Amino acid sequence: MRYSPTLVDHFLNPRNAGMMREPDGTGESEYAGCGDLTRFFLRVRHGRAVEVRFQTYGCGPTIAAASVASELGRGRTVDDLSRLTSGDVEEALEGLPENRKHAADVAAGALRAAAADWLSRRR
Amino acid sequence: MSRRVYLDHNASTPVHPEVLAEMLPFFAEIYGNPSSIHAFGRDARDGVDQARERIARFLQVSPQEIVFTSGGTESDNLGVKGLASARGRGHLITSSVEHHAVLRTCQVLEAQGFDVTYVGVDAHGMVDPDEVRHALRPDTIAISVMHANSEVGTLQPIGAIGRLARERSIPFHVDAVQTFGKIPLDVDALGIDVLSFSGHKIYGPKGIAGLYIRKGTKMVSIQHGGEHERRRRAGTENLPGIVGLGKAVEVRARDMQAEAERVAALRDRLWEGVRARVPEVRLSGHPTERLPGTASLLVRHVESESIVLGLDLKGIAVSAGSACTSGNVEPSHVLVAMGVPLDWAMGAVRCSLGRSTTAEDVDYVIESVDTVVRRLRQALPVGAA
Repeated sequence: MRYSPTLVDHFLNPRNAGMMREPDGTGESEYAGCGDLTRFFLRVRHGRAVEVRFQTYGCGPTIAAASVASELGRGRTVDDLSRLTSGDVEEALEGLPENRKHAADVAAGALRAAAADWLSRRR
Repeated sequence: MSRRVYLDHNASTPVHPEVLAEMLPFFAEIYGNPSSIHAFGRDARDGVDQARERIARFLQVSPQEIVFTSGGTESDNLGVKGLASARGRGHLITSSVEHHAVLRTCQVLEAQGFDVTYVGVDAHGMVDPDEVRHALRPDTIAISVMHANSEVGTLQPIGAIGRLARERSIPFHVDAVQTFGKIPLDVDALGIDVLSFSGHKIYGPKGIAGLYIRKGTKMVSIQHGGEHERRRRAGTENLPGIVGLGKAVEVRARDMQAEAERVAALRDRLWEGVRARVPEVRLSGHPTERLPGTASLLVRHVESESIVLGLDLKGIAVSAGSACTSGNVEPSHVLVAMGVPLDWAMGAVRCSLGRSTTAEDVDYVIESVDTVVRRLRQALPVGAA
């Protein structure tokens, strides 16, 4: 299986990994098929995610997808994040093998869930 | 990364230079069909005969009892189906930790009306011969238990199971793909009637394997179309492969003992080193009754594929105990049968050492496992895993 250099870089050097104290929004997504789990934490100021952190359990692509998604998310409005797709994450990773597509689903799903959490807390 | 360390010898091995040299003339110089009666055919036949004799000598059996096949999977299929089909109906006993070549074959036989009992294993992956005894029925027609498990390296009590089979005249098939040419194997002392072995696990080429079939064992062929291999396996012989397998066995007979000792010491060095540096890691399989070169590590709370990828990027080849295929990951059936908890089983990484492995390689792997696992654990502090 060949992975893109970007994916390998994020796997080896995950950005924004770790938990966050008292986040403004958190969300999880799980891929039951293989037990992959990703959790995102958001720090939100004026409707924008100023800090994004994650924790994840999974294979290499899942770790890389969470890392790349954390970079995609930082600085964006939470509204934007609530519309993030698996395609956005996969594109940022420069592609995923067919049998690892779920890595992008888990990352995007968890980040959307964190965005939805903040939006619901605000209401 | 210039350093490359191959620790996946249970998956496959490089062809030994002496084996390759022996094979080369059999591609373009000696190429006749061994079944042909002319000189070209006779030269080819000589190559096949010599290989058969070498293997028979190694196993201390008669050359007529050796059948060549295309691989360990075919050997297992022929061994199990050949025994079952010769009897037409009845009950088979196997274990829950067999290679899929045996397990899936047994499932197919079940669908055809045979009964199969899958005996379990203990926490070390070992079959209890008493459990085999309890599974015996008046209509039991065959027993098939592997010699060593490829994933965890546990050696099965083949001799005790063989005695049970012998007492009741039940044919006993043993998948010895992981032990043949690695540790001593006496088919008479162990009561084995049919034995699967393979070339590419012992520095022979891929695509060649064999089956020992004790004289007088009732077997039917599962592949038809010729009189080859005394009508036990139709198809033109894989001449270079057979020659290579014969040479590989001869080389193993010479080198096996010394290498087993050397590799076992390196395996222990690997495990001791990993254990000293990496927290929450276990060695799976039996502590003493195990293959010399296999160290199967269980790394808690880390997903095996991420370790494999991390090591791969450091030039190290190991294999994952759980494979995520099509987005569906299951811990290995072997670890499940051993009752290994999921948080450990999902982090199974098998290191299998071989003749090229050095102490420097092992030290590099220890250091790399430590680095990779440490990094992965920092990035993944999810307790829920």
